[in-house]
Amino acid sequence: MPQEFAQAHAQEHAAAQDEQNAAVAQAASAAATAETAGDALDSVLDDIESVLETNAEEYVSSFVQKGGE
Amino acid sequence: MPQLRDSGNSGPGATVERSPEFEGFARIFGVETEYGVSVTGASRPVDAGQVAMTMFRPIVSRSRSTNTYLANGSRLYLDVGSHPEYATAEARRPIDALAQDMAGELVMRRLASQAQDQLRDTGYGEHLRVHVFKNNADSAGHSFGCHENYLVRRYVSLEQVEHELLPFLITRQLYTGAGRVTDEGFEITQRADYLDEAVSSATTRSRPMVNTRDEPHADPEEFRRLHVIIGDSNRSQWATRMKLAVTHLVLCAIEESARLGRPSGCEAFALADPGEANRAVSRDLTCRTAKLRLADGREMTAIEIQRGYLSIVERFMADHRELTGESDADAGDMARTVDAWRQVLELLESGRSEQLADRVDWAAKLRLFEALHARRGGMIAQSKLAQLDMDYHDIASGTVYDALLRRGMMIRLLDDADAQRALSAPPADTRAALRGRFVAAALDAGAQFSCDWTRLTLTGPEHREAVMLDPFDADPSDDYERLMAAL
Repeated sequence: MPQEFAQAHAQEHAAAQDEQNAAVAQAASAAATAETAGDALDSVLDDIESVLETNAEEYVSSFVQKGGE
Repeated sequence: MPQLRDSGNSGPGATVERSPEFEGFARIFGVETEYGVSVTGASRPVDAGQVAMTMFRPIVSRSRSTNTYLANGSRLYLDVGSHPEYATAEARRPIDALAQDMAGELVMRRLASQAQDQLRDTGYGEHLRVHVFKNNADSAGHSFGCHENYLVRRYVSLEQVEHELLPFLITRQLYTGAGRVTDEGFEITQRADYLDEAVSSATTRSRPMVNTRDEPHADPEEFRRLHVIIGDSNRSQWATRMKLAVTHLVLCAIEESARLGRPSGCEAFALADPGEANRAVSRDLTCRTAKLRLADGREMTAIEIQRGYLSIVERFMADHRELTGESDADAGDMARTVDAWRQVLELLESGRSEQLADRVDWAAKLRLFEALHARRGGMIAQSKLAQLDMDYHDIASGTVYDALLRRGMMIRLLDDADAQRALSAPPADTRAALRGRFVAAALDAGAQFSCDWTRLTLTGPEHREAVMLDPFDADPSDDYERLMAAL
């Protein structure tokens, strides 16, 4: 169990460090990032083509459920 | 209030022994998510209730109930109004709760896939699709929740929570809000239109924003359970973690001042009308225009209020460098949380909220809508935006969020392997570890069992029980060992 604990911490360290690095990188190269992000967004729109083509009203109105707690 | 409270059983000169966690800043985190269910493409009528029951058929056949606990210590059940619900196992850290929450998405996805196959095979047509929404509103104005649980030290009163934490909870939505396409336009929260009174200590049909539960599932002399209702269901991993982590820091500051018997400073932000403020925050996409009325007559923007809380937390952190984590890793994590919080507020203040699109759900949606608008060169129909909004939350059949993840557009704190691991591995340092191990063994042995948060019961072949009152304790008791020996 202590091993898992240490593992979780190491993972969290790495993940948090990655998050910090990602944030710093993003802020530092805004213009370049914007261009790459634009390409990536275009790819996302390509990926979701099937959603864009489906009937929106039908999809939306199909989701009706009683409220929760 | 800050003094140790006598349990009533000891003599006048006796000191009361407190758990080590009570004295520090340890926290138990939990996230309960109600999921929505829908079905499309069926060849004959079928409703959400039927789909939900089909999803839970394997659960019912295994545990004779639509309420069960899993090998990772989490709770899975079918709630009021046919909402599948998943409550994460007790976690000491936001990142651990995040892993459990992601495991919950996998559980729901799996159940949905099985139900989809089942319904297709039983005459509902091959084009039938099951959708499971990790969100907070359907298309007809019904709302359901993503609630957080925090163990809070007993000497923080409900009144203190209302005045001191609520303004924080309302304004943190600037970065925790999931966003929603409504008939009146895009809002940054899912639930503002549905929440009324601020605080309630009773479970009633009206929806308060926060309450405390009488069953802390811990020592009631030490802790109460803060149940936060005003929160959106997040897809963003960053947002789920931040939601828990920043709230924890604010709670630390509030607890510390209650402990020392002095004001935290948070009381300065008490709102004149929380419901009105909540709606104002939700509708202001600039994030820095809406002026919220405080109880003392002043007006502040949501960002200014968040800045105020940040200052209080920074002061607390400076005073307690050695106490703000059980280990250096925890202290470092809290420092990083504060940095991330500061960065978010800076971006919002300078009108650069689009740079939060990789971590804040409402910003991610807006970025997508804007990209679609640019590609199409014209207005997008409101129904199309509503569809994309819903698809973003569809963890069973949705494509939007997965595409954003796959294309590197969203911050990832944990990967798929981490989520998979959390399906069977409970947090190792809370009583969830004991519950998870028990459930796994009982399932393996084909034994009849039942659980709740504090009790494990073997009902067949023989009757044995173990009680676990302390959520921080992962050490097996003698009763637990006897229970496990019977499996």
